[in-house]
Amino acid sequence: MGKRLSVIVAAGILIMTMAACGANKEDSSGGDGNSGKVYKFATDAAYAPMEYMDKDKITGFDADFLKAVMDEAGLKYTITNTGWDSMLTEVQSGSTYDAGISSVSITPEREESYDYSIPYFESTNMIMVKEDSTIASAADLKGKKVAVQGSTTADTLMSGIMGSDNTDLKRFDSNAVAMLELDSGGVDAVVADIAIVREYMKNNPERKLKGILDTASFGSEFYGILLPTGSELKAKLDPAIKKVLENGKYTEIYKQWFGEEPNVDNVLNAK
Amino acid sequence: MHFRWDIIVDYLPLLLKGAALTIGISALAIVLGSILGLAVGFGKMSSRPYLSWPMSGYIHFFRGTPLYVQILIVHFGLVPACIGHTDAVIAAITALSLNSAAYTAEIYRAGIQSIDKGQTEAAQSLGMTGFQTMRFIILPQAVRRMVPAFGNEFVVLIKDSSLVALIAAPELMYWSNVMRGQYLRVWEPYLAAAFIYLILTYSLSKLLGWLEKKGVAG
Repeated sequence: MGKRLSVIVAAGILIMTMAACGANKEDSSGGDGNSGKVYKFATDAAYAPMEYMDKDKITGFDADFLKAVMDEAGLKYTITNTGWDSMLTEVQSGSTYDAGISSVSITPEREESYDYSIPYFESTNMIMVKEDSTIASAADLKGKKVAVQGSTTADTLMSGIMGSDNTDLKRFDSNAVAMLELDSGGVDAVVADIAIVREYMKNNPERKLKGILDTASFGSEFYGILLPTGSELKAKLDPAIKKVLENGKYTEIYKQWFGEEPNVDNVLNAK
Repeated sequence: MHFRWDIIVDYLPLLLKGAALTIGISALAIVLGSILGLAVGFGKMSSRPYLSWPMSGYIHFFRGTPLYVQILIVHFGLVPACIGHTDAVIAAITALSLNSAAYTAEIYRAGIQSIDKGQTEAAQSLGMTGFQTMRFIILPQAVRRMVPAFGNEFVVLIKDSSLVALIAAPELMYWSNVMRGQYLRVWEPYLAAAFIYLILTYSLSKLLGWLEKKGVAG
């Protein structure tokens, strides 16, 4: 009985697998009509207020900005929360997704593997410490324990200051966990994008934290839309981004999310 | 797709350093988890409810909740409560040991209970005490049956240790995440890490296979 049963079970699993694969294939061949291509954007919506999930909807500055750009360019698009790793592999291969928008800073190392749109956002990193901390600048962080979100430019900057193999520099999967580490006394400071630090301090006033800007050590960096190398979309996106930056739409969205005026010239003149 | 060997070569020293910590964390967790698991397993088999109930609850908790969450609870709750601040490596070893103990406890229990009752009856008819029966009759046979299950559990533990990158314990997965961040490339760091994990788990399987054949039989 045992042998016959296992043959039946194995055959059953095989058939179900094949059925599932078949269904998938039909699904993907359904929507490739040439009239008005729908561009697919991937994002890692876990970075409030830049991009995050509001229940089951992707929202945030990047979502609003992308809408303005695609409206300007007259292109149809969808945006999907794929998570960080999937976004990278998908955009690199370029077969399913056409682009990624997820507060991705433009760096030379990354440009070896991707194309970017023109810059659309200026950011800098901010140091977050407890109110009674003596840390006042980036230089004070040497010899201290610092938490960052891995894969961010805060990580790159602090690797430069502290040494990339320094184990006092702790890289977490998300800023939320890095900030929890500061609360638990595991580190002396967190370095993260200014928008993220401000959002966290706004949401957690009882934690008694302060943000420190050190523009001398942490220069400006710029976000771009991530594209596969040689993407045809770049030629359509770049003029639309420029237009949205120049016609005031960008300032409107920016004020809505951050409550202050952006420095549009810095973004436009960035290289 | 173009595969960039150069960035793997670049990061190899850090990946190997991470692998060393992975081995250290896993080895300690295997030893501590097996010892703790023995206590938990015997506790659960006990006929005294004040022992068997809590141990049964322990096993249900650690087998029934995600290791991911257990690591966070240990790192941000248990460890700071004990030593006053967070420490990723201590938290990693603690969380993996506690988790592994729940599984090894069941391996001990299954191994011991798999020995035929007749063996116990025979031992007792020869005048052996309960302890002697366990020590000389049941355990030597049971341990031989447990070895493959332990091998399985240890291999799982080595792979599970990759989850502690979550709390920034600088082990193998942590450094491959760092590599991913610098180049925004996914396959090079992950496949490199997977290959090193494969070497670790393969070596362990071979070691346990050798033990199974030779050491335990003697």
